[in-house]
Amino acid sequence: MNFEENRLRLTIIGGFLGAGKSTWLRHQLFEKTYDQPHVIVNEVASHAVDDTLLEGARCLDVLAGGCVCCDQKEQMIALLHRICNDRSSTQDTPQTRQLVFEMSGVADPGQVLTTIKNDPILNRHIILEEIIVVVDALHGLDQLRTEPLSRRQIEAADQILITKTDNCDEQTLETLLATLRQVNPASEHRASVFGVEKTLPDASSAQPAQLPKLDDLTDEPLLSCSLNLDEFGTNGNSWVSFSVWLSAMLHTHGSQMVRVKGVVRTPGGRLLLQSVRKVMQAPEILPDLPESAEPSSDNTIVLIGRGMNQERIHKSLHHVITKAAN
Amino acid sequence: MCSACGFPPSVGHWTDAGGQTPTERLRIRFARVALLNELLKPLGIGARDLGAQPGIQVFNGMGQTKLCQTLEEAWDQVELFTGTPFDPLTVV
Repeated sequence: MNFEENRLRLTIIGGFLGAGKSTWLRHQLFEKTYDQPHVIVNEVASHAVDDTLLEGARCLDVLAGGCVCCDQKEQMIALLHRICNDRSSTQDTPQTRQLVFEMSGVADPGQVLTTIKNDPILNRHIILEEIIVVVDALHGLDQLRTEPLSRRQIEAADQILITKTDNCDEQTLETLLATLRQVNPASEHRASVFGVEKTLPDASSAQPAQLPKLDDLTDEPLLSCSLNLDEFGTNGNSWVSFSVWLSAMLHTHGSQMVRVKGVVRTPGGRLLLQSVRKVMQAPEILPDLPESAEPSSDNTIVLIGRGMNQERIHKSLHHVITKAAN
Repeated sequence: MCSACGFPPSVGHWTDAGGQTPTERLRIRFARVALLNELLKPLGIGARDLGAQPGIQVFNGMGQTKLCQTLEEAWDQVELFTGTPFDPLTVV
């Protein structure tokens, strides 16, 4: 038996000031990429402008006059409570299923996610679909060099969308791509000009730019480590040992682990696990794969963080699984 | 609030997912606490799950016991007992 996932699916759109978040979102609403979304726009300025540009949303709310990860936090929680409450109490009209949250240019998506996760009501009603971070092709590298916030935004991203690629030369774009891959190796990259999808150059041979150490960030690069639970010979019964091991890892090394993502097969079905920094999302139960499906990436977990030693992590999980089998 | 444990109602912790039937969930809880005991034995710490009550009991050799709602809280308690966080990378 599988329960239908009925929580509001949240897409967060982040990115530094002027990166082109609203332009991209406006085009997606025009193209109807999202199914009748409820859009929330956060602006640092007290007078909102972007909301007037966004047509095509089922509903639109504006949080102006501050950033949602600090001074507008309470207002954001109140607004999300209202949306969840309206959605639960509406019987007649079709329910909103998609929430698109365009954050201000100075907000950290990871902080917002932590706020939602720590709220007992929102945690029940909202599930994160993806974090899209928009990067300006022209200024992205400079921002990565000088702004700790810009790096934090990139680190939290599932998808990085590079905008304004028509205004920049190919070499700059390749260096930016290589640098973004170094900062967040697990993210997908796309390019867009005024919301229209463009092709990215192959930057596999490009050298990433050297990023200086910033005050509140370590200069250690992010490394990714994949764990295939089937390789540990548990015959699919790895959930208990894996969950105990991962919870201990997050407890002790959570500050170095930026992202954990993957699908684990459990007795209760396929669970989608994803965390941003220390915060693990409530797992989503995915439908079973049809028998004819291609071999999937189930039971493969990707950990992204600093100071990660793949061999040490493998050994550690292996020891825990061995202890569980005894 | 649960009259057995006094925990306020909350969303289940992610580590409590994985089982759909009550039997599966109970089996997962017992397997988890057995593994915790294996891992914590060298530190002189033990864990119990009574099954009929929610939560994991974490105790040390000094007779101190703490009822933890989630596995995350259990790791916090282990850290309080030992003074250092439990590091899975040091498990041998």
